Amino acid sequence: MNPAARSADGSRRVLLMLLLPGLVALGVTFVLPLLWLFRASFASSAIGAFSGGDWTLSSYETVLTDPFYWLVAWNTLVLGFNVAVFTVILSYPIALFLARTESRWRGVLTALAVAPLLTSSVVRTYGWMVILGDQGVINSTLQALSLTDGVVRLTNNSFGATVALIEIFMPYAILAMLSGFGRLNTQLEEAAAMLGANRLKVFTRIILPLSLPGVLTAALLVFVLAISAFVTPRLMGGGRVFVLGTEVYNEATVTLNWPLAAALSVLLLVLFSSVIVIYQRALRALEA
Amino acid sequence: MVDHHVEIEQLVKTYPGAQKPSVDRVSFSLPRGEMLALLGPSGCGKTTILRMIAGLIAPTSGAIRIDGRDVSAIPVHKRNMGMVFQSYALFPHMTVARNVSFGLEMRKVGKTEIEERVKKALDLVKLTGLGERKVSQLSGGQQQRAAIARSLVIEPELLLLDEPLSNLDAKLRDEMRDEIREIQARTGVTAIFVTHDQDEALSMADRLAVMSNGRLEQIGTPREIFDRPQTDFVATFIGAGNFFSGKVREPGVAEVEGLGELRFSGEAPTGSSVKLMVRPHRLVLDGTGAAGVNRFSGTVEHIVYRGQTLTLTVRCGTQRLQADLPTHAGVLPEKGGEITLAVAPEDVTFIEKAAA
Repeated sequence: MNPAARSADGSRRVLLMLLLPGLVALGVTFVLPLLWLFRASFASSAIGAFSGGDWTLSSYETVLTDPFYWLVAWNTLVLGFNVAVFTVILSYPIALFLARTESRWRGVLTALAVAPLLTSSVVRTYGWMVILGDQGVINSTLQALSLTDGVVRLTNNSFGATVALIEIFMPYAILAMLSGFGRLNTQLEEAAAMLGANRLKVFTRIILPLSLPGVLTAALLVFVLAISAFVTPRLMGGGRVFVLGTEVYNEATVTLNWPLAAALSVLLLVLFSSVIVIYQRALRALEA
Repeated sequence: MVDHHVEIEQLVKTYPGAQKPSVDRVSFSLPRGEMLALLGPSGCGKTTILRMIAGLIAPTSGAIRIDGRDVSAIPVHKRNMGMVFQSYALFPHMTVARNVSFGLEMRKVGKTEIEERVKKALDLVKLTGLGERKVSQLSGGQQQRAAIARSLVIEPELLLLDEPLSNLDAKLRDEMRDEIREIQARTGVTAIFVTHDQDEALSMADRLAVMSNGRLEQIGTPREIFDRPQTDFVATFIGAGNFFSGKVREPGVAEVEGLGELRFSGEAPTGSSVKLMVRPHRLVLDGTGAAGVNRFSGTVEHIVYRGQTLTLTVRCGTQRLQADLPTHAGVLPEKGGEITLAVAPEDVTFIEKAAA
C-alpha cells in the first residue's frame, strides 16, 4: 500500500472513531426503540411485544378499518394544518422585523421573542385554560359587559387546542424563519427601489420570494410538532379532541393495548415522512 | 438653459447623535456625459454623498439638482437613477434576464419592448446569450456586467457606482476599468463613482473630487489633482511626494532650510511661508554635477529596484529626497555614491491651501 492510500485509510479510521460515540448513542436511544416499536405493532398482546411472541396484522387491521381512527387521523391533519398556517402568519412579521432591524436592541428583542420557551408547554397550556376557560378571563369579561348570556365555548374543543398550540409553537417558528432568511439583505431591497419598485413591490417581488424557504421550514417544523403534540390537545381538548397523539397515549397508558399504540405511532411516522418528502420537493421547486 | 446636468449644492448630512457631520457643505456639479470620481479614504463621506444622490438617505440640508430641478423630495423609486452596488445586489431568485428586466417591468414597459431592450443591454455589457443563467452561475466579472446592464437598461438620468471594482481580482479589475469607461462613453450617461483607489480614480474619471473628513478638498481633472494639489491632504493622499517648507525670498524662489534655494511655479507673496512638493519621478539625474537652479547634490542612502524604475533615497544637506529614476537612464547610481538631482521649477508645486 502506498503512503497516500495509507493516510487516506487512516483519516477514514479517525473519522469513524469520531462518529462512533454519536452513532452508538443514536443507535441505543433512537434506532433500537424504533425497531422495537415496529415489532410491537405486529404483536398480538403487550406481553408479545416484549418476548418473541407471534406476528399479526390485527392492530393495523383495526387502525385501517375502524372509521374512528380515520377520523382521528383526519383531525390530526386538520389540527396540524391550521396550527401551521396561523403560527406562520403570526410569526412572519415578527421574524421579518427581527431579521431586518438595525436596532441595537435586536439581540434583546430576539431573546424576548423566544423567551416563552423558558416555560414548559404544560404550564403555558394551563395559562391558556385560565384565559379561555368557561370561567376564564375572556368569558368573565364578556359576561361582565353583558355581551353574552351563557358561556362561549373556547376550551374543551379543538379551537382551544389550536389557539394554545399556535402560541406555544410561535418561538420555534420565529427561530426557524430567522435561520431561513439568510438570502434577505437590505441592499437587494435598495436595488429594487432604485429600479423603480415601491414598498409593496419590494415586498412582493423581493422580500417575500427570498423569505419563502424560511417560511416553509417554519411551517414544516410547526406542522410536525403539532401532529405529534398530545399534552396540549389533551388538556385544552378536555378529552373531547381526538388526535393521534392523544390516542397513542390513551392506548398505551389507559387501555394498555401496546400493539395498537405502536401501530398508531407507525401511522404518525408515515404522516411525518410524507410531509417531509412534500417539503423537500417544494423547497427544490423554490430554489430552481 | 442650464449648462450643468447635475448640481450638488451645500450638501450636509449629520447622522442623529453624531458629533460632527459626515458630509459637510459639499458642492460640485457635472456637465452631461461626464464621469466623476468621488475619491477619499474610508469614512470620508463619499458613499454617503452617493446614497443621498440616489435617494437612499435624506440629506440634512442642501440641494441635489438634476437639470436645475431639486430632486431631494423625490422618493428613491421615482428618481430614475441607476446604481451599481459594491456587492452588485443582483436578485438571487431571478435569472440574469429577469434581473435586467426588473426595472422595465416596474415601469410597465410592454413585453416585446422589454425583450428587445434586455437583449440590447446584455449585448452592451458582453453578456449576449447568458440571459437565462442563474445569477449564481455567473463569475464575479459577469455579475458586475449584469449589474451594470440592469442599471443602464432603464436609461437612468445618472449612473451611480459604489466601489465598482473592489470585489474583483487584480486582472479583472484592469479589464473592467476599461470596460466601464467604454460603456459610459458609448451610452453617454452622466456617471459618479465612489472609490478609495487613486489609480482607479485617475484612470477612469474625467474629473476627481477628493474628499476628507466630510469636506471636499479639491475637484479637478486627474492632471490637476496629481500635478497641482491644492491642499496637504490631496498632495499626500494622491501619489508620493517630497515636501518642503520654505520662505519666499522673491517671486518664485523659496529658501528651504537644509536644502537651499528652490524655484517653484505658482504665486506666493514674498516673505510668506510656503509648502512645496516635488513628485519623485520629476527628479532627474544631473550628470554635470555643476551647481545651478534646483540642483541638489547628495549621497545615495538607499536603493529599491522596481523593474521600470529605481527608487532612491538621497541625503541632500539635512533633507532626504526620494527620486524615481527610469532604469534605462544610462549608468545607474549606487548606494553610497554621490549624485546630483535636478528638477524643473514647473515641477515644484506650491500647495496653495496648505496649513502653514
